[in-house]
Amino acid sequence: MAETLPGTGGRGHGLDLAMRGIVKRFPGVLANDHVDFDVRRGEIHTLLGENGAGKSTLMKILYGLYRPDAGEIRIDGEPVQIDSPRRAIELGIGMIHQHFMLVPTLTVAENVALGLASPKGPLLDLAPVARRIEELSEAYGLRVDPGAMVWQLSVGEQQRVEIIKALYRDAELLALDEPTAVLTPQEVEDLFVTLRAMAAEGHSLIFISHKLHEVLDISDRITVLRNGRLVGTVSSADATKAGLARMMVGREVVLEQVRAPVEVGPPRLEIFDVRARGDRGTEAVRGVSLQVRAGEILAIAGVSGNGQRELAEVVAGLREATGGRVLIDGSDVTGADPGQRRALGLAYIPEERMRDGAIGQFTVAENLMLHDFDRPPFARHGFLDFAEIERHCRRLVADFDVKTPSLDTTMKSLSGGNIQKAILARELSANPKVLVASQPTRGVDIGATEYIHRRLLDQRARGTATLLISEDLDEILALADRIAVMYEGEVMDVVDRADADVGRLGLLMAGVRDSGT
Amino acid sequence: MGEFFTSAVLVSTVASGLRLSTSYLFAAVGETFGQRSGVLNLGVDGIMLLGAFGAYYTVLNGGGLWLGMVVAITVGLVMGLAMAFTSVTLQAEQGISGIGFYLFGLGLSDLLFQKLVGTPLPIRGFPELRIPFLADLPVVGEMLFSHSIVVYAAFLLVPVAAFVLNRTTLGLKIRSVGENPEAADTLGVSVAGVRYLTVMTGSALAGLGGAALATELGIFQQNLTAGQGFIAVALVYFGAWRPVGVMAGSLLYGLVASVVLQLKTLGIIPRSASELAAMLPAVLTILALVVAVQRERQPAALTKPYERGA
Amino acid sequence: MRKLIVVVAALALVAAACGGAGDEAGGGEGAAEQPFRIAVVAPSAINDLAFSQSIYDGLVAIQEEMGGPTKVELAVTDGTFVVEDAAAAIRDYAAQGYDLVIAHGSQYGTSLQEIAPDFPDVSFAWGTAGDTFGLPNVFAYEAASNQGGYVMGVMAAALSESGVVGIIGPIEVGDAKLYVDGFAAGVKAQDPTVDVTINYTGSFSDVALAAEAARAAIGAGADVLTGTAQMVVGAVGVAQEEGVLWFGTQADQTQLAPEIVVASQVYHWEVVLRDMIDLIQQGTLGGEAYVIDLANGGEEIAFNPGFDLPADVKQLGQDTIQGIIDGSIVVPAGG
Repeated sequence: MAETLPGTGGRGHGLDLAMRGIVKRFPGVLANDHVDFDVRRGEIHTLLGENGAGKSTLMKILYGLYRPDAGEIRIDGEPVQIDSPRRAIELGIGMIHQHFMLVPTLTVAENVALGLASPKGPLLDLAPVARRIEELSEAYGLRVDPGAMVWQLSVGEQQRVEIIKALYRDAELLALDEPTAVLTPQEVEDLFVTLRAMAAEGHSLIFISHKLHEVLDISDRITVLRNGRLVGTVSSADATKAGLARMMVGREVVLEQVRAPVEVGPPRLEIFDVRARGDRGTEAVRGVSLQVRAGEILAIAGVSGNGQRELAEVVAGLREATGGRVLIDGSDVTGADPGQRRALGLAYIPEERMRDGAIGQFTVAENLMLHDFDRPPFARHGFLDFAEIERHCRRLVADFDVKTPSLDTTMKSLSGGNIQKAILARELSANPKVLVASQPTRGVDIGATEYIHRRLLDQRARGTATLLISEDLDEILALADRIAVMYEGEVMDVVDRADADVGRLGLLMAGVRDSGT
Repeated sequence: MGEFFTSAVLVSTVASGLRLSTSYLFAAVGETFGQRSGVLNLGVDGIMLLGAFGAYYTVLNGGGLWLGMVVAITVGLVMGLAMAFTSVTLQAEQGISGIGFYLFGLGLSDLLFQKLVGTPLPIRGFPELRIPFLADLPVVGEMLFSHSIVVYAAFLLVPVAAFVLNRTTLGLKIRSVGENPEAADTLGVSVAGVRYLTVMTGSALAGLGGAALATELGIFQQNLTAGQGFIAVALVYFGAWRPVGVMAGSLLYGLVASVVLQLKTLGIIPRSASELAAMLPAVLTILALVVAVQRERQPAALTKPYERGA
Repeated sequence: MRKLIVVVAALALVAAACGGAGDEAGGGEGAAEQPFRIAVVAPSAINDLAFSQSIYDGLVAIQEEMGGPTKVELAVTDGTFVVEDAAAAIRDYAAQGYDLVIAHGSQYGTSLQEIAPDFPDVSFAWGTAGDTFGLPNVFAYEAASNQGGYVMGVMAAALSESGVVGIIGPIEVGDAKLYVDGFAAGVKAQDPTVDVTINYTGSFSDVALAAEAARAAIGAGADVLTGTAQMVVGAVGVAQEEGVLWFGTQADQTQLAPEIVVASQVYHWEVVLRDMIDLIQQGTLGGEAYVIDLANGGEEIAFNPGFDLPADVKQLGQDTIQGIIDGSIVVPAGG
């Protein structure tokens, strides 16, 4: 990188990218199997696929983090070898990784200047960097303070820093890996404005997401990958949600479950003015009061890190409440351990499913029996009844559509969706009175998501009171009867599903209370 | 106690503290570079010993003090290269491999000493360099400005190191690699390259610290450093990975040691408490470490090897 | 993980090969008569011009006296400041059937007490100490280092013009304490008005601290210094630089600083070693506790021939030696 003030001259905006016949093998996996993918100048092109479909691998190859086993990359028709991120940057390729590549202890300007030559030779000179950052902020609507420390920034601001980093390096093609996953709906809108402005200038953009409405909203073209293979490329104008879902999964998918009206019963879960500390000792839940009735799904919406996880753990008995009371089916369980709560009819689907929900080294059967192995009919006088256990597990695996080679397979060798279905099977088999479900479909493929949603609605129909915690507004709108929005440990408001729209929820998630209504 | 607060005693106590701090300071500032880039080098003491022997042997054989310093730096660079290869390229567990390097340096320096020298013979170190004008000032002149050149060099190293870390593009790379090597890698910074550079620089400074010790004392002996390199590693934590903080720690350690020596010499500390008092520098440092250490300032990637795409 | 283990193992091997260098000195070559085999384990280097060198010099003297390597075979493991390493070496030598295994360090006592009963046919010697644990195959030996210290203290007081004498010690135990107390007593006996500053640095190995202790003593006015244990080499250097006088002990330290070393107390352990070997050859493997002193020739004051010592002071020193030998002067034994 010889130029000292990037973005001020040289190449015009945009480039034509063509990836042809890309193959990448990992031990036991063919991550990319002869994938073709191309992006034109001024185009926003979405890469769509389930987890493990090969999107990230393809992008890491483009950015020089992996070397392909076969295939060719052409830029503006010329074959190129991209053997390092440095080479990718030289070619005008920028990447916004799903996990931000920022150094939290440095300022915005330092993060941007990292790795670039300075006009003062070996000495750092951040003043021109800050000026250029302000110019870019202006031009693309990316508000950020060049002197701020990165750890002080919100997630949305950090993302802007990432985009500025790429623009500062004259990126003509920018790939964004799941950029909307961590944003509020308003922040998503802002991001889309920026992306459209960039595309209008001729930048080439690769957008990765699995939220179909966003994909349809922002893309010019959409390329779908499945199991490492190219399924096809379609124009956004010709695509529908159902059609894209079918391409991703390989079969018909019911995207919107039918929420039949259900008679609501008495309160099963009651939370009064609950307070709790987060992992770092700061107050994470600040006086939350909620009530969930039998046959009702109450969803908690909010940007991650606003106290939802801590609240769920307080209800499940995994985190101590520093104030307030929790009642399950009328009994005060504030000081009770998880086992006592379970006996009262609580079931819990944790957010970190491999850490809190299952034991990876144990078999599927053992995981299914984690709670019940020591009581009849599975154990009598301290002896396990293996025949009964096996009968029970076979029924659960069949009922909940857990795809496993056998009951003796270790849990960790299953896919994310099947692990989640197994946990669901264990938790729902006792027909709980109260269910706490934290991020039940995060990282789960569309097919399994569809199934999990159906089971949660079934449980609602059977009279379970469900506390659903999700960062996915689509999921919340599909399942919830009422929606509580959490911001900085407090409930901003509780909204009926019928009155909820994305705009209003987004404002609440950003901490803005209703002024008019 | 009044005897202690005479200007002559104070002057000699502070001057003694500065001298005692010198070798720690070289080693600890060097170690700061490595740790800021994410590499913990626990082999410092062994590298100091090899540097000390290299300088001593060179001077003993008429090579001169400056050549002795060059030899110590070279020995440090070679050891640093080996340490970097082990911890960066082979990605060995840094604490354990560091202890290996320490034992290697301890053993090899002693072996070479026994085979090449045998009976310890004295050498002459750098002469006292009185800074013109400043050395003639009352009290502080004698205290601060009439030392050998290695003492000045150690303290001058501190602003230089702070400048490199905070004001240069290289420093920015070092800090980034120590906090988030993946981010640095995606911006085209060579994580391994930066770490090799810092570990080798740090080891060269450790070698220099050993050389400072040997030439100031005018002697070499088995285990001459007596664990100074380990204290230096602790001082990096104490100084919250900032050169100025590291200097503060080195000074504290050196000054407490010199005050204790002085109080014992004057008979203010009774002989019955002598051994307890001798532990004071170490005890104080540990206490200060526990009380003052700013864990949040620890480089996030310290001791973590980096592998692309992992 | 494998990579790590290989690296660490390789380094440890190299370090071990370098550190615990067990030198086989001598060794009979086809002699019809079996040589007498002696092994010594010492905490610091055998050329430390101090504690460890004293025993090695004594062994070499005995070897020559008895007819060279064909008659006496010597094996040395030095630098074992880690007691566990020393214990392993002691056990190895005993298992190899050495006639006499010397554990030269008071810190090795506990190990020796465990090892000696396992090898009833091997004779052990423990120094410097006065206790044989009541074991039939253990000798003990120590030096009345307070005697030499006293003699040199008398001379130091006579030489001091400033009226301050400085003493630097490691830790207040054993041989070091005995010497320091003797030296201080000698100074006071010659001139009660002379101040003695005593500084135990707390370490046998910290050369830098010993050097600064010497500077502190000089700063407090001392113009004559002494010190004991292997870390004093740093203090000798300071004395030379500052032009103050030095008295050495445990070995002749003249070569460290020929201009300012007045005299050194030298140990001749061969005096007691000779007796031990006689007893062993007669079948008595231990039980005796030896002390070397000025009277039995185990201690000697070695004057630096290059130092221009005033004749009256030298005479004073020799009179004091004579007085201790004939009993007219009684040196306090610490306290």
